[in-house]
Amino acid sequence: MSTPKRSLGSSSLQRLYHGRSYTRRRVVIGVLILIPMSLLAMYFILPLFWLLVSTSKSTDQLFNTPMFAPSSLSGLVTNLRDLGQKEGGAYWRWYLNSIIYSTLTAGLGTLISALAGYSLSKYEFKLRGAVRFMVLVALLLPAATLTIPVFLLIKSLRLMDTYVAVILPLLASPFGVYFMNVYVGETMPNELIDSGRIDGASDYQIFRRIAVPIIGPGLVTLFLISFISSWNNFFLPLLVLSSSKLFPATLGLQMWVSKLISPATGIPPYPLIILGSALSVLPMAVLFPFLRKHIAAGIATGSIKA
Amino acid sequence: MIVSQRSWSSRAVPYIMLAPFLVLFFGFFIYPLLYAFRLSLFTGRTGRGTFVGFANYITAFKDGSFWSSILTVARFGVMQLLIMLILALALALLLDSPIIKARATFRLLYFLPYAVPGVIAALMWGFLYSPQLNPLLAVLGIFRHGKPPDILSQSNLLFSIVNIVTWEWTGYNMTLYFAGLTSLPLELYDAAKMDGCNEFQTAIRIKLPLIRPVIIFTWILSIIGTFQLFNEPFILSSLTAVPSDFTPNVYIYNMAFAYNNFHYSATLSFFLAFVTLCASLLFLYLTSGEQRRAGRRNRSYDARGVAK
Repeated sequence: MSTPKRSLGSSSLQRLYHGRSYTRRRVVIGVLILIPMSLLAMYFILPLFWLLVSTSKSTDQLFNTPMFAPSSLSGLVTNLRDLGQKEGGAYWRWYLNSIIYSTLTAGLGTLISALAGYSLSKYEFKLRGAVRFMVLVALLLPAATLTIPVFLLIKSLRLMDTYVAVILPLLASPFGVYFMNVYVGETMPNELIDSGRIDGASDYQIFRRIAVPIIGPGLVTLFLISFISSWNNFFLPLLVLSSSKLFPATLGLQMWVSKLISPATGIPPYPLIILGSALSVLPMAVLFPFLRKHIAAGIATGSIKA
Repeated sequence: MIVSQRSWSSRAVPYIMLAPFLVLFFGFFIYPLLYAFRLSLFTGRTGRGTFVGFANYITAFKDGSFWSSILTVARFGVMQLLIMLILALALALLLDSPIIKARATFRLLYFLPYAVPGVIAALMWGFLYSPQLNPLLAVLGIFRHGKPPDILSQSNLLFSIVNIVTWEWTGYNMTLYFAGLTSLPLELYDAAKMDGCNEFQTAIRIKLPLIRPVIIFTWILSIIGTFQLFNEPFILSSLTAVPSDFTPNVYIYNMAFAYNNFHYSATLSFFLAFVTLCASLLFLYLTSGEQRRAGRRNRSYDARGVAK
């Protein structure tokens, strides 16, 4: 799905060719604008290219070979082997933790938000206005200002250093509820609920059999957004986790970096940090095609109504 | 609207669907805030502490470090938001205009940094700020008597973070603006063309005002993000010296973990939440005021019968 309501139907093909007329002046301007645009593209791409090229270099090569010159593939194999062996395979453990945290947070969080958003959008009940207002106010409160209070709570509940401490606080997402509320309102006609009722379906059956398939693209969007923000999460795990076997990849890599300046720890593991960083971008790279389409369309839907 | 049955079970349905969210929301949103508020009314390093009322807030209000951290993020925000949002808008408008070639490729390239986790982006740029790893900095040194610039020095720290955040989020904002632009009807542009608008005028006079809601949305997100700045300075603190009161969250973090003062840390996070909320609401109020004034202007145009 792209934007659900396009006021005047214009196909993407029309859009692509619309307004294309090539006078010489327009062609010249078009080419001139390409120069700053390409420079900007290089600004966005070159750091990533450097990261990619550097994954196969040794510490010595990192400091002494041209920064964008590719190295041999065998260097990558060596680095991968070293990464797998460092601290008893700690990195892959962190990687697995990241996958567990992100999948559970995004999966459960999306379901919870969908149920709440659907309820707020399709039912009239006494507290609807109050809950909607609460969600909107909560939207304006950044998660990070809550992180210290959440940490203090987790500490008092003696949940420190557990998987639950990282996952549970992220499941209730005001953004998710707000987004699903808008999305359900825009994509799901009330008539479908009425016809479901006439066919004798219960409210939960209507949600599962009729609503879920219709709001599917919105669910995918929300899942992706939550997955990314959970994969990128750093502040909360930093506060509530102390044993490194529970760390997500971001936290583990940061720990290695923080050891870089203390000279007692032997050769600085620059190549491993670089390879580890590049690998932790990998899931995003895999999700990227979906990401771009869904996030752009999805957030635009939510925001235009904001 | 929909629910017409009167039975108890059907009236309970919306509440049951909301229940998981509400339980978690109260448990990990409202309750932590209340708990932090309660903590903030006490003082002492261990145990339950002694009740001091609002004394901690008075301390916070007079705390130079806290206000200097707010000032730092405010300076950061003005710089970063202006650079990023102007850049993102310009790119979105350019990519929406038909004179540019290879628009899809550019869109993809600009959006790519969003796929990089913030922590990884900070690590990567942290390495790229080191002259040993980034010989390009030595080239810049030509202008500074052969000495490569020390990007991570105290005076440059703020700019180095502006760069990281801009790199990471420009493409994301551009994508949102672009999505807003693609949902505008094409017929609008034909009308503008007939009225004699050129490409540039169409962009500024027609497209920009129409994607205004998206722009406001991204500004709010960015303002909130600015106040919670933590990851980038924290990561860079492994590579260089970062003041313990650099941003509000860095200060709050250090208050809790370096000084072990949880009561004051709770006070400060409560205070910060309040300041952030005020900033976003103020921004919302200012922009909606502008819209009201614009609305009045338009009406007066109509009254005089001047076609827009």
